[in-house]
Amino acid sequence: MFRNNYDNDAVTFSPQGRIFQVEYAQEAVKQGSVVVGLVNKTHSVLVGLKRNAEELSSYQKKIIEVDSHMAVAIAGLASDARVLSNFMKQQSLSSKMTYGRPIPLDRIVTQIGDRAQTNTQHYGKRPYGVGLLVAGVDAAGPHLFEFQPSGLTHEMQACAIGARSQMARTYLERNLDKFDGCSRDELVTHGLRALKETLSQDKELTMENTSVGVVGLGTNGKMEAFKLYEGQDAVPLLEALEQADSAGAGEGESMEVDS
Amino acid sequence: MTSIGTGYDLSNSVFSPDGRNFQVEYAVKAVENGGTAIGIRCKGGVVLAVEKIITSKLLKPGANKRIATVDRHVGIVSSGLVPDGRHFVSRARDEASSWRGTYKGPIPISALANRLGGYVQAYTLYSSVRPFGVTSIVGGWDSEAELAVDGQVGTGPKSGAGGKVEGAKVGGPGLFMIEPSGLYWGYYGAATGKGRQAAKAELEKLDLSAEKLSLHDGVKEAARIIYVAHEDSKDKEFELEMTWISSLDGPTQGRHEEVPRELLDEAEKAARRALEGDDEEDEGARGSGEQMEE
Amino acid sequence: MNHFPEAWGRPRDDVYGAYNSTYLQTSGPKAHTTSPAVTGTSVLGVKFKGGVVLATDNLASYGSLARFTDVKRLRVFGGKAVVGFGGDVSDMQYIDRLLESIDIRENYSSHGNMLNAKNLHTYLAKVFYKRRSEFNPLWNHILVAGFDADDQPFLSSADLLGTTFSSPHLATGFGAHLAVPILRRKFPDERGIETISREEAIEALKECLKVLFYRDARSLDKYSIAVITQEGIDLREDEQIEGQSWAFAETIRGYGSQTS
Repeated sequence: MFRNNYDNDAVTFSPQGRIFQVEYAQEAVKQGSVVVGLVNKTHSVLVGLKRNAEELSSYQKKIIEVDSHMAVAIAGLASDARVLSNFMKQQSLSSKMTYGRPIPLDRIVTQIGDRAQTNTQHYGKRPYGVGLLVAGVDAAGPHLFEFQPSGLTHEMQACAIGARSQMARTYLERNLDKFDGCSRDELVTHGLRALKETLSQDKELTMENTSVGVVGLGTNGKMEAFKLYEGQDAVPLLEALEQADSAGAGEGESMEVDS
Repeated sequence: MTSIGTGYDLSNSVFSPDGRNFQVEYAVKAVENGGTAIGIRCKGGVVLAVEKIITSKLLKPGANKRIATVDRHVGIVSSGLVPDGRHFVSRARDEASSWRGTYKGPIPISALANRLGGYVQAYTLYSSVRPFGVTSIVGGWDSEAELAVDGQVGTGPKSGAGGKVEGAKVGGPGLFMIEPSGLYWGYYGAATGKGRQAAKAELEKLDLSAEKLSLHDGVKEAARIIYVAHEDSKDKEFELEMTWISSLDGPTQGRHEEVPRELLDEAEKAARRALEGDDEEDEGARGSGEQMEE
Repeated sequence: MNHFPEAWGRPRDDVYGAYNSTYLQTSGPKAHTTSPAVTGTSVLGVKFKGGVVLATDNLASYGSLARFTDVKRLRVFGGKAVVGFGGDVSDMQYIDRLLESIDIRENYSSHGNMLNAKNLHTYLAKVFYKRRSEFNPLWNHILVAGFDADDQPFLSSADLLGTTFSSPHLATGFGAHLAVPILRRKFPDERGIETISREEAIEALKECLKVLFYRDARSLDKYSIAVITQEGIDLREDEQIEGQSWAFAETIRGYGSQTS
C-alpha cells in the first residue's frame, strides 16, 4: 500500500505544497459537535450542540465567555480550546488594564491565529486540533470570526463548524440576507434553526444539549454584555423556535418557507 | 516527480545529490496555488493588488484584508499559505519598529526587504522548521524630503550645512519580492500566485522601467492585470483588494493606504470593460490567424 | 610599567596613588535619574463646550539657562488627542516615540477601534507608575486632552509617580500655583463646561501664559496652543504673548536694586 511519507510532522511540505498534519488537524474539528455563529448589525450570536459522554455524565461546554464583550464557541479538542481561550482571557484583561479599552476583536483573533501558525512551522509542536467561532462587539460594532487549526481566520457574516455542520451552513447561506434586518431574538431563532438542521433523525434540541450565547449593542447603542443561555434559561429560546416553526408550518404554502 | 521516493525531500535543510533543497521547492508549490498578487512601481508611488477568491458566501464582504500595513510607509501582500503570510508581516512590523528604535526614523524599503530575505532564508537552514509557504511583495515609499527624527522637538540652529549635500536626490518608490528560499529582487513590476504568468506578461507590456507610468494609471493597470490573471479561474468569484503608497505630494502623502472606494470601483469597471474588449479582439485575431495559416 | 595591558597608560600608582574604582562597583545600590536635566515648565489645559484647549510655552531650560527656545511640547496623537509635556525633555522625546510606535500599531488595521484620549491617559499613567516602581522615573508631568469613548471632552493629568488627576481645567508645574487660581476664578465649578466657549477658553489660557511669563523665570513669551474639537486639532506652535505690560515690576520690592 502507498505510504504517505509527508504526513509525519507539521514541518514537512508534500510535493504539492500541502502540509498534511495541518489538514489532519482540521479533521479533528469535524469530529466535534456542531457550533453555529451569526451576526447582524446589532448582535453576534453563538449556538452550540452539547454532547455528553454517557447518560449519567454532564454535557460538554461549547461556549466559553472570554470577557464581557466576547465569547468563543468550540468544535474539536476541548483542551486545546481551553489553552486558546485562557490566552484570550489574558489578552483581553491586559487590554482593559493598560488602556481601559475592551480589546478589538480583529486584534485578538489575529493573535490566536499567529499562535496557531507557529505550531505549524516548528518541529515538536502540533497544530491545534480545534476550530473556534469568536463572537463579540467592539467600537466597530458586532463581529463574528472563524478560526481554524491552520491559523487561518476569517471574518464571517455567519458560520458553522463541527460534525454535520454543512447542513447548518446551507441554511445560513439560504437565509443570509434576512439576518441584517432581524431582531436579536429572531437572530437567535435563526441560529437555533441552523443548529437543528444538523441533527440526525432521532435527535432534537433540548434544554440539556443546547447552548446559546448573545453579545451585542443594546437599543441605546451601548454594549450589551455577553449572556449565556443554558438549561432552564434556554427554554424560552427553544420555545420561540418551536413557535416560529409551527407558525411557519401553519400558514402553509402561502408563506415563504425558510428551509 | 523525480524528487519523490529519493528520501532527500523529506526534511528541510537537506541537499539532494544534485544540490537542491526539495522542501523549499515544495513550499514554492504552495505559493503557486495562492491568489494572484502583484505590485507595480510607478512614477509617483507603488500599487499593490491581490485577487481574493471567495471561498464561501458566508464570508463578510470586504472585511478580510490581505494587504497589510507594516510601518506607515510600507505595505506587504503575499501569495500562498495565508497564515504564513501573516507571520511574515508580523516579522516585518517587528523589523520596522526595531529600526525606528535604533535609527529614530522609518526603515528604507530596501533595508526591510534585506532583513526579511534574511529571516525567510533562516527557515531553509534547519530541519526543525519548514520554509515559508509564501512569496511576498513588499512595496513602499522612502521619503524624498528630509524627515524630522522621531521625537524631535525643535529645529535647531538655522545656519550651517551640517554635512548635508544640497540638491542630492533621495527617496522614491521601492518594490521587492521575497521568495520562500529567501531570495529577493527589486522589481518595476512583480507578480506571484496562480495567475503570475499572465500577470507578468501584462506587466512586461507596460514598459515600467521607463518610470513614466503615473500612479493613477498604475492603479487602473493593476486592477486590469488582476482581472486578466483571473481569467483562468473564471468559474470562481473573487474580490479585488488594492492599496497604494504615493510620494509626499501625492494622494497618500507617503503613507500606505487602501485605494479609495471610488477609484477602486472606477478601476474595476475599466478592467471589466478592457476584458470584454479583449475577448472581441481575441476572436478577431484568432480569425485572421487562421486565415493566414491557410 | 607591567605586562598588564589594562594598566598601560594609567597614571603611576607610586606617584598618583591607586586608582579609585569604587564608582565602578557592580553590586550594591544603583542610582537612576534623581533630577531632570533639560526641562519644560507649565502645561495648561481647559475644557470648553465641545472640546479642550491645551497650551505650553516653547522653552526648554537647562537649569536656569534658557537653552532651547523653539521646543514643541504639545504632541498630537492620532488626530484626536494631544499630550502636553512638562518636565524632562529627553523623557518627553522617549514618550513621544512610544506614542508614535503605538500610533503605527493602531493603524495596522484600518477599521475603527482607535485609542481615544482617555485610553491614552490610562496607558501613560501606567507607564509612569511602572517606571517609578522601578525607581527609574520618567521625569514628566503631562496633560492629556481629547475625547473619551462617549465623545465627551476629556482632560486629565499624570505625573512622574503615576498619580492621575482630572478637572475641567488643569495646570502643571508653576502653573499649578499661578494659573489654576485664575482659571478657578474664571470658570468656577458651578458654571459647568457647557457655558464655556472656545474663544473664552483660549483667552483664559493666553491670560495665564502671560501671568506665567511675568512670574515664572523658566518661561518664555513664545508658546504653542492646541484646540481639540470633534472637527480635528488646530495646533499653532509659533505664537507670541501679546499686550505685555511690565509696569507692575516697578512695584515689586525685595529684589535687585529695590531692596526696600
